[in-house]
Amino acid sequence: MRHGFKFQDSEYDVGLSRSADGYRLHHDGQQWPFTLQPSEDGGWILGSRAAGAQVLDHLSVAVDGDDVHIHLDGQTYTLRFEHALERLAQLNEAGAADAIRATMPGSLISLAVASGDSVKKGQTLLVMESMKMETTIVAPRDGIIAEVLVDAGQTFDKDAVLLALEPQDSDAEASA
Amino acid sequence: MKRINSAINTNSAEFKANAEHNRRLAAEFREKQRAARHDRPQRDIDRLRKQNKLTVRERIERLLDPGTPFMELSSLAANEMYDGSVPGAGCVTGIGIVSGREVVINAGDPSVKGGAWYPITIKKTVRALDIAIENRLPVVHLCDSAGGFLPEQAELFADKYYAGRIFRNQCTLSKMGVQQVSVVLGHCTAGGAYVPGLSDYNVIVRGTGAIFLAGPPLVKAATGEEVSVDELGGCDMHTSVSGTADYPASSEDEAIAIARDIVAQFKTPDKTRIEWQEPEAPYYDPNELYGIIPRDIKQQFDIREVIARIVDGSRFHEYQPKYGTTLVCGYAHLWGYKVGIIGNNGVLFNDSALKGAHFIELCNQNKVPIIFLQNITGYMVGREYERAGITKDGAKMIMAVTGCEVPKFTVMCHGSFGAGNYGMSGRAFDSRMLYAWPQHQISVMGAEQAANTLAEVKVRQLARAGETLTAEQIEEIRQPVLAEFKRKSSAYWSTSEIWDDGILDPVDTRNALGMSISAALNAPIRDPSYGVFRM
Amino acid sequence: MNTQDWPFDTVLVANRGEIAVRILRSIHAAGLRGVVVYHAADRLSPAVAAADVAVEISGETPVAAYLDGAQIIQAACESGAGAIHPGYGFLSENAPFARAVAEAGLIFVGPTPEQIELMGDKVRARAFVEKAGFPVAPSAIEDDDPATFVERAREVPFPILIKPAAGGGGKGMRVVRDPADLEGEIERARSEGQRYFGDGRLYVERYIENPRHIEVQILGNSHGNVVHLFERECSVQRRFQKIIEETPSPALTPEIRSKICETAAGIARSAGYVNAGTVEFIYGEGGEFYFLETNTRLQVEHPVTEQITGVDLALQQLCIAAGEPLPFSQDDITSQGHSIEFRIYAEDAAAGFTPTTGPVLQWTPAQGEGVRMDSGIAQGQAVTAAFDPMLAKLIVTGADREQACARADKALRELVLLGCKTNTSFLRQVLNHPAFVRGDVHTGFLDAHPELAQEPELDTLSLNKLLAVAAAMTRPMRDVADAVPTMHAAMGEWRN
Repeated sequence: MRHGFKFQDSEYDVGLSRSADGYRLHHDGQQWPFTLQPSEDGGWILGSRAAGAQVLDHLSVAVDGDDVHIHLDGQTYTLRFEHALERLAQLNEAGAADAIRATMPGSLISLAVASGDSVKKGQTLLVMESMKMETTIVAPRDGIIAEVLVDAGQTFDKDAVLLALEPQDSDAEASA
Repeated sequence: MKRINSAINTNSAEFKANAEHNRRLAAEFREKQRAARHDRPQRDIDRLRKQNKLTVRERIERLLDPGTPFMELSSLAANEMYDGSVPGAGCVTGIGIVSGREVVINAGDPSVKGGAWYPITIKKTVRALDIAIENRLPVVHLCDSAGGFLPEQAELFADKYYAGRIFRNQCTLSKMGVQQVSVVLGHCTAGGAYVPGLSDYNVIVRGTGAIFLAGPPLVKAATGEEVSVDELGGCDMHTSVSGTADYPASSEDEAIAIARDIVAQFKTPDKTRIEWQEPEAPYYDPNELYGIIPRDIKQQFDIREVIARIVDGSRFHEYQPKYGTTLVCGYAHLWGYKVGIIGNNGVLFNDSALKGAHFIELCNQNKVPIIFLQNITGYMVGREYERAGITKDGAKMIMAVTGCEVPKFTVMCHGSFGAGNYGMSGRAFDSRMLYAWPQHQISVMGAEQAANTLAEVKVRQLARAGETLTAEQIEEIRQPVLAEFKRKSSAYWSTSEIWDDGILDPVDTRNALGMSISAALNAPIRDPSYGVFRM
Repeated sequence: MNTQDWPFDTVLVANRGEIAVRILRSIHAAGLRGVVVYHAADRLSPAVAAADVAVEISGETPVAAYLDGAQIIQAACESGAGAIHPGYGFLSENAPFARAVAEAGLIFVGPTPEQIELMGDKVRARAFVEKAGFPVAPSAIEDDDPATFVERAREVPFPILIKPAAGGGGKGMRVVRDPADLEGEIERARSEGQRYFGDGRLYVERYIENPRHIEVQILGNSHGNVVHLFERECSVQRRFQKIIEETPSPALTPEIRSKICETAAGIARSAGYVNAGTVEFIYGEGGEFYFLETNTRLQVEHPVTEQITGVDLALQQLCIAAGEPLPFSQDDITSQGHSIEFRIYAEDAAAGFTPTTGPVLQWTPAQGEGVRMDSGIAQGQAVTAAFDPMLAKLIVTGADREQACARADKALRELVLLGCKTNTSFLRQVLNHPAFVRGDVHTGFLDAHPELAQEPELDTLSLNKLLAVAAAMTRPMRDVADAVPTMHAAMGEWRN
């Protein structure tokens, strides 16, 4: 497994190599040669070949941490880099999903549970507000609340960890 | 530097017949390579899959940077031994690019007898590590070996260049400051344990990887202790208790990715600078080499036609074009690197030997690596030449070749017979790399002469006993000798014995030399110094 | 313009983002000094950069700071401002604030507190309009008799729309199609109204299928003059929020157009309305229209009106606040060309228009003939969840609708915001939809075409381009590729 990019709910295995006059993208068993050079206006010129003809695309690119934001042909895309070692480590970590994350940016209206509470699947954990709508977050499984990481009124970004459930294993032991 | 003006007529019947012949030889070579690389008994493949192991080829492809070359060494080693049952000598070695660095890869092949070390496996491994030492190349070891092949232990344990040499070479590398990383993908038992043990870094795969001096059965036999593989030398024990291994990995993929990241930490080499200019493809198509190499080993051809299809822009500055014309000497660029080229255009006479010795000195003085293109039947014999000191002049050339400090590279293009092999930097003369073309033949003399000589000896013996032989009887003596001689002088025999670093399809020669020169420049070039030239 | 005699020479803008920048532009056009208040989160914003004086305000949350009237009035007094322009949102329709401004001896750039109270309260405004003889939709108002509210609501022809009496901007509105759902939805709407407006009172009215949203810009001054500046159509909405607005409306015939505009002016005149305001109507497929509400402030979408009338509305607000007579009569106001506004939101259309956040890594506004961009963001700022997700507005104007649309498509392609996902490609999808091209839209248009919000399918070539650029821009990948020696790079995947 190589480096990857997460993009629109998919993950792409990607390699990059230098060629005599540019780079090659290695993806899906294919090599795709291209050139990338800065343009005078601060953007970038992507050169590639399509149907035997040289194609030049003007694009804007900004990198922020692992996020690469690209404006190409009137559309904006964000691809998130995942280092090969990170991907492989993730692949090997068994059942990590013990974090309750915000599905969208917003703020916390009310908390229905506290640290140490045991909860049943489907039970209301909290109510958040986003987009002028209330969203109820329910427990994804039976378990015990390990930690509460937000206070009422607090705003947060998408994917922020709101609550932590105790890991599945200790849970199983507790019920055994 | 002007372009070589090729005299080849690509439409001639001769060219076409040669091309057909040599393309067939290349195809045969490719097929042998394919078989050696991939044909395995199904049960060995099944066993690896069951163990969740990748094949050695898959491991190497994952290790290498995408879109970069890999020059495999001695791909047909051991091919003429053990009825071909130890393909590639049970290991894969080569030079490739990992995290942007040129490295030697030394990978055990667990699909060949569980990766057991045969004597020839050790020879190939030692050679790979010698290459690492000579060229100061870091090494990535992909370890997966069942240990020494016990039935052959007498041929692999005790002598100077046997198994111990692997570990000696590892230590030598370390002492030189050349870094090594081992990836433990299977068991590393007994001596094999020292490969990761003597590496600067090592990574071990949980479950399949293990390092121990003796495996559980041997421990039980020796001390009665019962212990599992994991307890004795598994990933977690070694990475958290003994410190024998550095990085735990949960899969082969992860282990290789970690190894790549380790290599990325190696210092970037401060390579030796030699004359260089922007590379240029040869003007003449390298594929025309097929039509240039004669079908008959005895037939001469102009080595300049070969040079024209290897070097940048087919440009060549010829030194002493009118003197000692059976040895072509001159400068060219290959993948941008300035090189001196010495190629045979016939038997070596006094003047050609002197010219060769002088040209080697020129290259050595100016730090220009030398490429030897061998097609040599030897130094000229006969009264006239001995009187003129052919031995003395040949000795000068051999002294120059041996004393020369610039990297040397040898390509066995056609024949290599007699002392000419020495003067043209044969295997014994420490060329950094030595390659052979598929039709190449090598022996102390030609097969025909050898068979005739042996038949002659026999005839004389019998004549002394008063017997005479019929022509048929002489032929009966001659034929087996000829056949045996031909077999053992073939490129396949030679490469099976690791008398070279591998057979090349002629069209690959340029890239192989480019990679070899680049690798050689990781080591410094010392100032010239020689022994005594007999004047 | 002679502002020597004006009762103020400095105006404080009690707002942020694009509208603060927009108002400062008119303040400076009038030759006045502009003061802006800002929360620390907006320190790097263009509004702060554009102001002559910027005063930091604080609050428990950034939004709370901008809602803190006392702090803002104090900032105005200390900075020498004689007037406060509230922009839209925040304190713009807050009558107690308008009153407090007056009590502090300052001028509130907007209508009187009484007018805000009357028009800002949907129930009272509606009763007023009905009484004045203008058309309103069948409805039931809780305040009339809270005990019978549910029964009366049930009598309004379904489907019905529940609205908070104190609401605005679509907050807390709910459509009920099945009378069985009525009580539950009333409870939910009440809870939301309570939370957003501190007021749980509701009213319901008939919900018109496939309605268009038509509104009319009006200006009234203290001399009793009221003019209208034609209509705007704002039917392209998602979740009751406008995203594309245009003028003239492609739906109106000249007769209905003048009828609606005159009705709006009539309502304003009846109320003695002062300053800029907007009268909103719901327009049915049969050509009928009902009074919806009045917005007693400058609207987000005011620029399209400015583009076709040539009137600087923010400047007129200042003139009116200074007591100047209107410089034109109704007959002087003409409409020329066609103008469309697109609201650029930080949101993920494909994920149900959820707001997005992120740093503004690159912001390149659109340029070109007929293109105007009102924006309040700058490179280096961050888009956070703290504020409304609207980042900027693209206003394109052309000789006719077709030309405006063509310019809009080019502008939407060319404007670049990197770091935070926006709705620009979604806006392009809408712009190029045949129904929009025909001008055949209604407020439920986007709900009826959820496919417009989907991410367009990527072909292999485009995917390769993105992956290639991303890989080449990612240091761990590029560094290793660049570390490969030139010769080996040129050889590629050679094997011997």
